[in-house]
Amino acid sequence: MRSDVETDTIISVSGDRFGDHLELLSEMSRDFAETGDIEQALLNGLKRIVDYMDAEGGALFLLNEDGETIECRACVGPVDITGLTLPTGQGIVGRCVDTGDGEIVRDVSKDPSFKGDVDAQTGFRTRSILCAPLSVKDRHLGAIEVLNKRGGDGLFSPLDLNMLVALGASAGLAVVNARMAAELVEKERVERELELAAQIQRSLLPSPTGPEFPVSAVNVPARMVSGDFYDFFTLEDGRIYFCLGDVSGKGIGAALTMAKATSLFHCLGKAIHAPGHLLDLINTELAETATQGRFVTMAAGLYSPETGEIVLANAGHEPPLLMDRNGGFTTVPAAAPPLGIAPGIAGPEGFPETRHKLDGGAIYIFTDGLTEGYLADGSEMGVEGLKDRLRQTQDAAPDVRIDAVIGLIHRGGAPLRDDLTILVLDDKDAIAERPDAPHKLPSLADDEEGDWLVDIRLPTQPVMLKIIRRVTEQSAKLCGCDERTAKDIVIAVDEACQNVIRHAYGGKIGELVLSVSKNDDNMVVRLRDFAPPVDVSKIKPRDLDDLRPGGLGTHFIREIMDQVDFLAPTDGEPGNILRMEKRIG
Amino acid sequence: MNIESNEINGATVITLGGEVDLEHSPQARKALLDAVANNKKVVVDLSGVSYIDSSGIASLVEAFQTARKNGGGFTLASVSESALRVLQLARLDKVFTIAATVEEATA
Repeated sequence: MRSDVETDTIISVSGDRFGDHLELLSEMSRDFAETGDIEQALLNGLKRIVDYMDAEGGALFLLNEDGETIECRACVGPVDITGLTLPTGQGIVGRCVDTGDGEIVRDVSKDPSFKGDVDAQTGFRTRSILCAPLSVKDRHLGAIEVLNKRGGDGLFSPLDLNMLVALGASAGLAVVNARMAAELVEKERVERELELAAQIQRSLLPSPTGPEFPVSAVNVPARMVSGDFYDFFTLEDGRIYFCLGDVSGKGIGAALTMAKATSLFHCLGKAIHAPGHLLDLINTELAETATQGRFVTMAAGLYSPETGEIVLANAGHEPPLLMDRNGGFTTVPAAAPPLGIAPGIAGPEGFPETRHKLDGGAIYIFTDGLTEGYLADGSEMGVEGLKDRLRQTQDAAPDVRIDAVIGLIHRGGAPLRDDLTILVLDDKDAIAERPDAPHKLPSLADDEEGDWLVDIRLPTQPVMLKIIRRVTEQSAKLCGCDERTAKDIVIAVDEACQNVIRHAYGGKIGELVLSVSKNDDNMVVRLRDFAPPVDVSKIKPRDLDDLRPGGLGTHFIREIMDQVDFLAPTDGEPGNILRMEKRIG
Repeated sequence: MNIESNEINGATVITLGGEVDLEHSPQARKALLDAVANNKKVVVDLSGVSYIDSSGIASLVEAFQTARKNGGGFTLASVSESALRVLQLARLDKVFTIAATVEEATA
């Protein structure tokens, strides 16, 4: 009987307040859904609940990210415990978070879970607790508790509990929504930052050039930012430096390394006019500050529009393609490992350099994103495919050619496997400006005009260098050079002779002739060897390289002398001539 | 060319003099590499160098790199005008640590 009476009472109460319940629930759900400030919405909600339940106070706890503690995030009542942190599973509220079950504790003094610590600290006296979880599906987010019912018999009813459980579910949903919104905001912030990074990165690449400039390049990042890069700029003497590289890995890490590599190239390239040395320096910089395992493949070159010659150094990069005027291709494989793996791996002469006469042709440097990119039919383009396409577009302007190649892989909307980058340097326009066809080496006039000062024939032995230096210094002074210039010319001639001594006769002792003449305001030094002649028309860049003074020595010669030419003798005798000219005064 | 090796304040001081050219740089290279192999602090006195070529510079670079790999110090001291010019041409004047005097380098 007794239970019947109780049930009746609840139903009658329920009947009276049913409308109020619904109204509060719908209002709070709307508040939660609309809020931009979840903490404030929770506090407002809690206030209304406490009010509605006619309780002395209430608190809302959320589970912290560590999953081991709960923290009071909203509090109503005589004592503010906002910020209070408790271990999960402890106390009545902690138990509620753990189990996900709501409960009524009519008399806390009879519940062994009740911890009097908070009361002891705050002076609040908790008599009864109504507690409901904040959870969405199986995710336990926290709990909401209401303390000490004021009116009636001072006891929370099962109906109050049902109400609080419903409100708790609504608040839980609001918390999840707010967290998702925050994640979305964070994601958008990251995207904005990436967009900014991409903008900065684009600004590191050189601006597009006009049709009269011999270099064009394109970079299409697979993601927002790219690990590929290229650069080119003109030196004061008219030569053009260019490079293209690929940083291992992807994303923002690769982009930052790219920024460093390209900045180093741009800055150091202005001072170091030798690609092999430049790559050596960049390598050391990158290696000293490398993030573990990240490296850079890079090809860098220096092009002289005056001669059509390029000096190329390749650190582990995809072999560039040299295309001659007839559409024939030669590849230039890498002779050195990638940059950033270990400092000082190159010898004192830097990374190996190769010299190539473009002779009206072009050089293409690209990343494997292009050759390994998918064509419309699903196949990879491949190096042969790239050659075919470049041959087909040979007569178009350089930028049109590379755009066409990029367009084959970067078709609107098709996702890219990797960043696409290609650079072309075309000698077609510059060759027209050259008086002599560059495929024929200029020949030396037998009787070059001017006053002959010296003409000596010496064995190619290191001990002779001392004599060569004395002779050169005295001749330079006779030509009117000051002390400092004379000393510089000595360095250049010494290095040039060294190369003949070391390389021309394949380790054997031969002869060299050193001639110095004064021609107007120029000192002309000619160095002749009698090594087996090389068929000039069939000369390959590498062979040419071996006969030329290489590396640091070559750099000294080019740095000091105003003009350096490699000539074929015309007197019918075998041999090679290096002609160096220095302006005086 | 002449080469001397001395110990000053725990540092090995290699003094190169005269003309460090293709003929003599192998000796210079050996002396420099021996020094960096045996001492963490090596100073090269270049005050008496009247001429140095790319092979001489190459020896200095090689010794410098070896010293660095071993965590050792490698300083050029009292660099003569001729040697400095070649270091400048090679753009190495900013790469090497250069001291005004041997005293300063060994201090």
